[in-house]
This record gives sequence, C-alpha cells and structure tokens, in this order.
Amino acid sequence: MSDIVTAEPGAARTEPRRPPRRPAKYRRLRAGLAPLPWIGPAIVLIAVVVIWPVVVMVQTSFQNVSALGITLGSAGFSNYSAVLDNPNLPGILLRTVIWVAAVVSITMFISLGLAQLLNQRFPGRRMARWAIIAPWAASVLMTALIFRWMLDADHGVINIFLHDLGIVSSFNSNEADWLGRPDSAMAWMIVVAVFVSLPFTTYVLLAGLQTIPDELYEAARVDGASPWHSYRRITLPLLRPAFLIGAVINLMNVFNSFPIIWEMTNGGPGYQTSTSTIFMYDLKSTFVGQAAAMSIINFAIVVVIVAAFVRLNRRSLQEAR
Amino acid sequence: MRSRLYAAVAVGIAALLAAAGCGSSGNGSSNGSVTLHFFGADYSTGAGSTSTTNFWDAVAAAFHKQHPSITVDVSTVVWTEFPQKVNTLIENRQYPDILEGNPAPPYAAEGLIYPTSQILSQSVIRNLVPKFLKDTDYNGTPYGIPWTTSTRALCYNKALFSSAKISSPPTTWAQLKDDAAAIKAKTGEIGFGLPLGPEEAQAESLLWFLGNGGGYLDSSGNYAINSPQNIYTMNWLKSFAASGDTEPGAGTANRTDLWTEFAEGKMGMVNCSPAIVPIITGNNGSGMTTSDLGVATIPGRNGPLTKTLGVHDDIVAFKAGGHAAQIKEFLDFAYQDQWQLQFNNEYDLLPATATADQKFAQQHPVFSSYMTNIADSVNYPTKANWTTVENQIKQTMGQAVTGSPSSVLGTIQQTATSTSS
Amino acid sequence: MAARGLTAQRPAAGRARRAPGRLPSPRTAIIAAVAYIVAIIFILPYVEMVITALRPQGELLGRDYLPHHFNWSTFTNMWGSGYGLTSSVLISLEIAGGATLLVMVVALPAAYYTARRRFRGRLAFLLLVLATQILQPTVLIVGIYKEYLNFNLENISPVWSLIVVNAAFNLAFSIWILNAYIGSIPVELEEAAMVDGQSRLGAMFKITIPIAMPGIVTSLIFTFIAAWNEFITALTLTTNPNQYPLTVRLDSFRGAYEVDWQHLFGVSVVATIPVIILFALIEGRVVGGLTAGSIK
Repeated sequence: MSDIVTAEPGAARTEPRRPPRRPAKYRRLRAGLAPLPWIGPAIVLIAVVVIWPVVVMVQTSFQNVSALGITLGSAGFSNYSAVLDNPNLPGILLRTVIWVAAVVSITMFISLGLAQLLNQRFPGRRMARWAIIAPWAASVLMTALIFRWMLDADHGVINIFLHDLGIVSSFNSNEADWLGRPDSAMAWMIVVAVFVSLPFTTYVLLAGLQTIPDELYEAARVDGASPWHSYRRITLPLLRPAFLIGAVINLMNVFNSFPIIWEMTNGGPGYQTSTSTIFMYDLKSTFVGQAAAMSIINFAIVVVIVAAFVRLNRRSLQEAR
Repeated sequence: MRSRLYAAVAVGIAALLAAAGCGSSGNGSSNGSVTLHFFGADYSTGAGSTSTTNFWDAVAAAFHKQHPSITVDVSTVVWTEFPQKVNTLIENRQYPDILEGNPAPPYAAEGLIYPTSQILSQSVIRNLVPKFLKDTDYNGTPYGIPWTTSTRALCYNKALFSSAKISSPPTTWAQLKDDAAAIKAKTGEIGFGLPLGPEEAQAESLLWFLGNGGGYLDSSGNYAINSPQNIYTMNWLKSFAASGDTEPGAGTANRTDLWTEFAEGKMGMVNCSPAIVPIITGNNGSGMTTSDLGVATIPGRNGPLTKTLGVHDDIVAFKAGGHAAQIKEFLDFAYQDQWQLQFNNEYDLLPATATADQKFAQQHPVFSSYMTNIADSVNYPTKANWTTVENQIKQTMGQAVTGSPSSVLGTIQQTATSTSS
Repeated sequence: MAARGLTAQRPAAGRARRAPGRLPSPRTAIIAAVAYIVAIIFILPYVEMVITALRPQGELLGRDYLPHHFNWSTFTNMWGSGYGLTSSVLISLEIAGGATLLVMVVALPAAYYTARRRFRGRLAFLLLVLATQILQPTVLIVGIYKEYLNFNLENISPVWSLIVVNAAFNLAFSIWILNAYIGSIPVELEEAAMVDGQSRLGAMFKITIPIAMPGIVTSLIFTFIAAWNEFITALTLTTNPNQYPLTVRLDSFRGAYEVDWQHLFGVSVVATIPVIILFALIEGRVVGGLTAGSIK
C-alpha cells in the first residue's frame, strides 16, 4: 500500500552530478517535469472529467435553482443552512452511520472467512470462485430489484420460504411486508449491501492471502503452533494491508451506495430509511441547490471518515512496503 | 520547482479547454432549412408497446414530406427518468424547441416559453378541451398545449364481487370499507389497493380528498393541504389501512405494483385509468379477463365523486431557438385527429382535442365512463411551485397512514406556502 | 468455521497432487461442502431472476417456487428487434472495453512511477486520486453534461464520451491497487534486469508487469464491471434508443404503467454473462499464485 511518507528532496537525484554547465533552475525544472509523462495523462483525465464537474457542483450549491432546473440567482449560504436545518437530517445522519458501520464490518468479517475458504484446495474450487462473483458481475440495481421482488408481501419467494417454515403466518400481512416497515427494511437492505460487497472484498483478501509464503506456515507448524495461533499471528497481520484497502474502498462505496435503498424503499416511508446519499438524491428533484450543498457535506463527511481511518492505520499501511 | 510543474500542468489544461471552444446549443439554420429539437416522454414498456420515439419519428417524417424545409429531431426518455433528464437539460440551458411532458406555468413564470397563441393556430386552439387548455394558464394567458389526458375511475373485479356476494360497486366510503372487508374475509384477496407510495401519492390522495370536499387548493385558489376535511380524510385512510382489508404497507405501495396484482385477480378494487386495460388483456385470460372488469365512479364520503381527477401531459415550446413559426406549423400538423387517435390508442390514454375525443369514444365504448366527466375534472394545482409540493407529497404522504396525518399534511402545507414564487 | 485456522496449504496454482485413486480427506470434503453451499447462496437470487423471467404472464405473481409452465420464449424473443438487445450489448462492450483499455494505459505508468520514485507532489497526487474515488457520477451529472455540451461532444457518438467518463471515475482505484502491487515488488528484480541490458521501460514490461499481474487483472475486472453497469451518465448522454447501452435499455422496461418483469430479469441475467466470461478467462491470474515464493 502506498505509504504516507513525504517525498524527500534528495531522493529525486539518482543520476551522477553533471558538471554545472546548465543553470540549477533548468535542472530542477527538468526534474520537476520528469513525472509528467508518467502521471500527466492521469492528472488531465481526472482534472477534466472529475474536477470540473465538482467545481460546477460547488457553484450550484451557492445558487438558487428552481425545481425545474432554472437558475434563479445567488443563494449565498442559504442552501447549506436549509439542509442543516432540515428536521429529517439528524435521523438521516444517524442512519447513515449505522448503515456504513454495519455493512462494512459485517462484510469484512465474512470476507475473512470466505477468502480463507476459497484459498483451500478442494474439487470444484474454480466453480465456487466464479459463483461468488455473481453479485459483483450483476448490476447492483438489478440485484436490488430481485431482492425487492423476492421480499414481496404477496408472492415473494422469501416469504413463501418463511411461510413454509412457519415464520410468516400469512401473505399480504404486515409481517410479510418487510420493506414497508422501516426497521425490517433497513435490516434487509443491509443484507443486500453486504451481499453485493462481498465478492470484491473477498477477492482483495484472497489476493492478499496468496502473497503469504507457505514457509511461514511450515515454520510455525514445525514450532508446534496451533492453526488458530498461526492464523492470528501470521495470517491476520500479513493480511492487514489488503484488509485495510478492502475496508476503505468498501467504506466509500457503501457511503455512496444508492440503488439498493432507492429501489427497495425509495428512502421511505418519508425519510425513515434514507441515508445521506439518498437524501441528496431526493433533494435533487426539488431543491437542486440544496442537493449540491448536501453533496459537498457528504464529501466532507467521507473525507473525514477516510482520513481518520487512514490515520489510525498509518503504521500498518506503511509496513506494506 | 514544484510551482513550475504545476504551472506547466495548468497551462496544458488551459490550452485543452481553450481549444474546446464555447457552448453550443441552438438549432441548425442554413439555406432556410430549420431543425427543431423535440424532447418528450416515452410512454412505452419495453417492447410491450413501441417506443414513443417511433411515434414522433413517424409524425416528423410525414410532416417533413409536406414541409421539406423543416426537420424535426426527436428524442425521448422513459417516464421514470424524464424529470431528471429534463432538469439536466434545463440546468444547462439546453432548451429543446418543443418539450412534451411537463406543465407550462413554471416555465412561463420564468419567461422561457411561447404563449399558446404563437405556437398553434386559432382553429386548433378552439379544438382543444377548454378545461385542459385553461390549466396551462399563467397570468390568464395559456402557455401550453394539452397533448394527452387521462381520468380516473374505480375499477373493480366482478368475479371477486360475486364471490363476496356484493351486488353493486360502492358509492360511499362506508360501503367501500364494508366491501373491502367482505372481499378479504370471503375470498382472502386484498379488498382495496391503496397506493400512497412515492410513485403517485399525489394522485391517490387527491381522489380521496375530493371525496370529502377537500383538495389541494381551497375555493380561492390558495393551498389548503392541511384543511380539516383533508385531515379527516387521512385519518379515515389511516384506520382503513390498519384494518387489514387493504394491501399491507399502504404508505409505501406503488400504483404499478397494485395494478399488476389487480390484473392477476388478486385485488377487489383499485383506482384506475384506461391504461389498466392492456395490463389485464396481457394476462391472456389467467387472473382476470376484461369481462371481469367493472368501472364505476369513485366513491366519495357521502356519494360518488362529481369531479374526478383529470390529468394531462402538455406540450410547451421554448423561446430560446426562436423558431415560433416552424413550431406552429409542426404542432398544427401533429394535432390532427389521426395522430391523436394513433397515440392514444397505442398508450391507452385519452385525446386532448374535442374532435378526437368524439371519435375515440366511438371506437372505445368501454372508456366512455372515463370520458363523461372530462369537462368537470379537477387537475393538480397549476401554480408555479407545484412541482416542489408534488415531490414532497410523493415522498412523505405515505407517512400519514402510519404516523400523524395532521403533522404530515401540515409540513407539506408549510412547504407549499413558503416556496410560493 | 473449520476453514479458518488451516495451515500449510499451498496457494493456488494447480490441482491437488495426491495419489491417484485416493478419496479426498474428510476435511476437504467438509470444506468443499461448505463452499458449495455458499456458492449456491450467492447465485440463488440470480436463479430466481431466471425463474421469474420464465414465468408466463398469468403465473407472474404465483405463490410457488416454480411456475407450472415455463415460458422459454422470453429468452428467445428478447433478441428480436423490438428489444434492441444485440445493439445494446455491443455498445456496452465498446464502452466497458474502451474504458478498461484507457484506464490501463493511463494508470499503469502513473502507478509505476508513483511506486518507484518519490517525486515532489507524490503525496498530493495520491490524495487527489483518493479523493476522486469518493466522487461518483450520480452527484456530478449536471457538470458532466455541461462539459459534454461545451466540448461539442453531442456531434459524435456518446460511446466516446462514456469511455472517457468511465475511465476517469475508475482511474483512482486502479492507480491505488497497482501502486500497492508494484510497490511490493522489490526494485532489485528490475535492477537485475537493467544490469542485464534492459532499459527502464523494458524492465517494466518484462519483469514488473508480469509479477504485478494479479493487481493488473483485479483493476481490469473492477473497471470493466464498473463501466458495464454504469447507468446515470449513459442515461444522460444518450438521446436515442439505438444508442442505449444495456443499463439504460433495461431501465426502459420499466414503463409508466407496468413493468415488463420477465424481460427485465431475463435481459439482466444475460447482461451478466459477458462479465462472467471475462472473469472466467482471467480469474486464474488474480489469485494465480504467481507472487507466491518469488517475493522474499
């Protein structure tokens, strides 16, 4: 993993010193421009396609835009204050924290086990690995739709199954209406979010497992360590970098997650199953300026969370080198 | 130096942007030939009915034959994505010449569109259903043209009614509640489908509000969403939803899902429009058939509604392109009966012109109960901030049947009055 | 779970070598069984998609696990012209393939240089990249469309713009992953090659890239899938049904009054097949064990 070490001025000079025929400034310019052919295209691509729309979005957050998209003039900070004063916001923020914490922690926990499982040798392992890919290959929107279909109170196959087990007593009852009740809806949507996150994180961990040399395990076994002991002492520490990469990426994706909640409950009833991303999208149809302000707030929240995460794990990220 | 590196990068990007040139838009206009950009909504469902693009392309092609100097370039998007896509266009000032699907008053309030008189000949204007044309008024002048309309009625399943020993459709709320209970008890199917979820909560709520002498506006035309009548209505619906005779989760249920269930014979009653008929026929006889379909006037609290909900999708024309004359020629062409009939036959909606209405009623006697009350229909408020209010109704009205009607309606009313433009 | 503390398992490269005729051990059998159950759970929702797609209209809302009648015609008539499936598949392939290629071309050099050299602005560059991973087209669509208009891009096929947009939004992930993989490859290997006469670029191609293959393949898959399933930008930049990639085409099955569930689910299952094929072809490289043992 990239370590958070600042660039040292001396490190760039690897070639032997030339006789001072050219001025030092020219040499430094050359050294300064040296990365350009390598990272230049990436910078251009990001600046043009990603950064510019961000600038537009920041501008919009200070404008008064009507529900039909017509810009009516400057709004100063009123969009921000409107968003922050929205009575639904505290509940939405709390729910966002719960959503992200639950999905990421459950996903990473299960991924550890799944990666370990898929790292073993057994017949048909390739097929098993392909099957795990399914939720990643299918679009999240479609997965959300099929889960909504399966949870339908009238004919959903999950309800049919639970009915056969005796857990759901009758169809078209309140208890069968999983997505109509906020708490059960959130629980199921967390299940779906974990489901679609697992393939990626499992593969990140699996790749990480691959880089751990057998010799370490052999040595531990020779020394008489139990399987659990060598898992704790060898596997987990060496997996840490991969684990952290997977967790950070998962965290960002879950925070930004949109289709699952939008398709399964639309954030409703009211805003009782909305996260901050859903709320931002809902604002977009009516209060465009506020939606832009909410996006900026969201961005700030994610940056803070990720920065905190990276800071806490700085040492283990550095060790990866 | 670092600053030089950044400077070099900045110069590079600036050069790139400068090379890109300024914004485009505007319509091709050379040698006297004009291209009009048409943006509309797609009323189809996959390949169940053909994409509305094909319809407008056909109109454009036939029109081009008669007016070779005018080309109409058609673009549509599915209804679910329509508001968002139109907003993106408008935010970027990428105004189409002709827009089909959004109401006129908000655009007129910003001075963006032509008044109707400039984009349609008088003879065609006189042919439009007056009530719908009036809905496009801003400051007393019509700015839009109703293109297609739809009204609501109560659909009921005659087979389930006879199984539940109900002889005739309900005419009052009390009868409706009893009938729903009877259907649930005797057949096990859902008695009444109540869609107060985000898809069309504003339509369903209005039908119930009208039943109690309420609505979104009071008699002076001001917002009165949390009027005592409306609060009573919502409380009534809350207890109705809790009775178990409607589908579960009425506050989150959507109309399309309920119509699918109704068409499969799993529901006794639901508020509907003519578009439900092809859904029933599409079942090829299993579930329910069109002979099982009964259509009646929607019950009000003490008697059937005298005014039902009549909605329409409008055409507006943006001034930005400056092609009023050509737009007028195209729209005069498009409003001929043959196109009205073809469109509304394809998508099971109702025409917006009087002459097409007459012919349509002759072709489809089953729709006659929908069409009798058109002149008396109630539309959504035509105020400039209606879209804002409507969006909030869609998102939050469902909570009225699980939470507190007076506070939900009160919040919406507050939005309505505080965002008046 | 018994799978957790197992030791001394050689990482993946080939089949288990055991004496022919010997049955797998009970431990392997348990592991296999658990893995099969997990695999089945993972594909169950998609099996349900297929089953629903096969339901005839009258049995669509049936309260049963399987319909009595299987309507195979859903999967045959979806290729007809009314649904535009073939053209959408091709367009999606172009967009996803193009974006993946563009990402590779841009990210590899950037990640290589960032991993190998400490240059001024390196940290800033990495943080910039990280920041863009947080941003998604969903919130930025208005600005994206504005640029699209500014650059007069509506006169060329939207496929090109979509390739660029998808590449840009997935660049961050690829740079990160590649940076990590390349960074964990010791410089000594490249230097040994350069001593043998290779240029820096040659060393990169002959030594580093092959060893970093799992990372390369991971970012390749990630980008392809992300571009294949991207919706909002594709919706905004396409104006005509014959420009629709699969995601937009699928959305068009959700109509104003009814949803064509059978074709919706049927097509979305079909839409996953190219991705699975891609994955099957190169999956071995992700966990191919090429790194095992070569890094000390």
